[in-house]
Amino acid sequence: MGLMENLGKIFNVSLIYATFRASTPIIYAALCAAITQQANILNIGTEGIMLVGAFTAVAVSYTTGSWFLGVIVAMLAGAAIAMIMAVGHIKYNSEICAIGMGINLFAIAITKFLLNTLFHTNGTFSDPKIIPIPRVQLPFLENIPFLNQLFNNWCFTEWFVILFIIILQFLFYKTVWGLRLRAVGQFPMAAETAGIRVNAVKYQAMLISGLIGGLAGAHLSLGYSAQFVENMTNSRGFMGVAAMYFGGANPVLTAVGCLLFGFSDSVGARLQAYGFPAQFVLMMPYLVTVLVLAISMAIKLGAERKRESSLVTGDTH
Amino acid sequence: MKKVLSLMLVLALTFSLCACGGKEETPAATNEGETEAPAADAEGGDDAAEPAASGDKIRVCIVYTGNLGDKSYNDSCNIGATKAVEDFGIELKSLEGTTAQEWEANLVAACEEGYDLIIGASSNIADYIVEHGPNYPDVKFAVIDTTVDLPNVQSVSFAQNQGSFLAGAAAAMFTEKTDIDGVNEEAIIGWVGGMDIPVLHDFYTGYEQGAKYINPDITILQAFAGTWTDPLKGKELTLAQIEQGADIVMNVASGTGPGILEGAKEAGVYAIGVDLDQDNDQPGTVLTSMVKRVDNACYLLIESVVNGTFQGGTTSYLTLAEGGVSLTDFSVIKEYLGDKFPQDIVDKCAELEQKIISGEIVVENYEGFGPEQ
Repeated sequence: MGLMENLGKIFNVSLIYATFRASTPIIYAALCAAITQQANILNIGTEGIMLVGAFTAVAVSYTTGSWFLGVIVAMLAGAAIAMIMAVGHIKYNSEICAIGMGINLFAIAITKFLLNTLFHTNGTFSDPKIIPIPRVQLPFLENIPFLNQLFNNWCFTEWFVILFIIILQFLFYKTVWGLRLRAVGQFPMAAETAGIRVNAVKYQAMLISGLIGGLAGAHLSLGYSAQFVENMTNSRGFMGVAAMYFGGANPVLTAVGCLLFGFSDSVGARLQAYGFPAQFVLMMPYLVTVLVLAISMAIKLGAERKRESSLVTGDTH
Repeated sequence: MKKVLSLMLVLALTFSLCACGGKEETPAATNEGETEAPAADAEGGDDAAEPAASGDKIRVCIVYTGNLGDKSYNDSCNIGATKAVEDFGIELKSLEGTTAQEWEANLVAACEEGYDLIIGASSNIADYIVEHGPNYPDVKFAVIDTTVDLPNVQSVSFAQNQGSFLAGAAAAMFTEKTDIDGVNEEAIIGWVGGMDIPVLHDFYTGYEQGAKYINPDITILQAFAGTWTDPLKGKELTLAQIEQGADIVMNVASGTGPGILEGAKEAGVYAIGVDLDQDNDQPGTVLTSMVKRVDNACYLLIESVVNGTFQGGTTSYLTLAEGGVSLTDFSVIKEYLGDKFPQDIVDKCAELEQKIISGEIVVENYEGFGPEQ
């Protein structure tokens, strides 16, 4: 059904921004999972932290009329949830997956409950009084057709995520704290011997993860849209965790994984309009998830084998 | 310590699962938790056909396939049910759920509870009624939006194809009004649905026929979000259609819909609402809404049980003629567009409505839908 002549309408300039727009919430979620993964904690509760952040952001923005305050309080709320997980996991040594799933279910229930008691509504909460995160206009681009379409009118948090990836990359691989974090993740006993307070580092990682998760939620409800809907994360947190695995908790590679999801989603949205069966198109992001994870694991395994064999041959470098 | 914590976790899990199950509409005054169902059996002997045994409240349970608060289909159903509570003093329980597993579990739980009437709020639930209905021959079931052919099930469905025909015609005329801000040169209109189910194809069939009645060469973009509860997905699909040239997009998507309306507003184009009057949800963006009187259907079903006129195995089909479906009066968008408001669309829609009612225009149905099936 005219697919060929419509290719230009599917693969055009706006697809680039659409990809980035769909990826940004997942990138935030993936970074939230990446920082704890560096300390060898699988933050499966990303989804729940995000959902609580999304609700808090909308609630605060609605009551105070300030998007900035909304984002800040959402980050704090995310941190609070993450600290519950941290205490359960680090202090009481309970299984992180169980706590994480508990947090995810708890987040759905508590946001539903608060939506009902605070705002006396169900399902969807949208109101003109919810002040969204502003969009960035770059006046000097306005006269350049291609760049204007590409870069203007981005949400503030969409620009920020790029900066944020770079900050985390620097933090992980170029700072003392990053080195300690990775040491704790890879060999806690050695780290302890070296005088690193392992648990303190783990708490710090969880705290920052919570802040990022809250920001992810705030972006979802105040940046990507301007409303709160029950369970509005819809597995974006889990996709973030999958992307984090793909990137091996490296911020840049993780973001690449997220863009892959966003790309398959955006292309799918365009393909549907030209008679591609919806069932197939809707499957694409998940197919890509499985493929991407399988490939990245295969590469990782290959690299490990190589490293082992070089150890055996006694490579002293 | 670990044991205590894991116990607490289990508790938290159970709690949140219960909370997911849905909220209770009325204080369950006579409820005694799990002992209640057998007790009811014992005292009432059996509640075979008679409703309301000796002054007991009639108990109605509605199983939704989605959440309340969608400002669309489910809320419309709830409006009818709430009205029935006020008028007849029935006891109402609403069970919400977002996944197919939850819907089935909710339905079975409702069956076991011994309600006088169990309403499956949408066609998503039909398969489970077909599966479990025969096991509870004494329970009265009703299903809205589709037909289930069982002796204890009463069905109500709508001529959404007729209402959508008018919506499609309105959209096709609107996309030509290039003097209105945001309307482009191209004759392209959009349509975004929730889940890919037969009812939605009945909507689309009418929408397409209506649009092509006005302009045979029009391009209609179609997409399904695959969910009733992800507005962000709806928004992304809508923006994709807008980027492909659509300047008016109809949503048929329950809880996914708010995102569709928001996407249209953000891009400065227009949308068409569905099920409930959504003209005020994004005022100035929503041209009109294709209202489907799910509230009436729900109210009438409950009334039939209250009056003892419930008839299993029957189907009512609510069309344009009976006011089962209709367009809103365009008054909200009129305010926003001022003197650019295209009055001819309203007039043409009124004319088409008469032609459909008189039978001059026959709106096609998707396979399996229509008056006499």
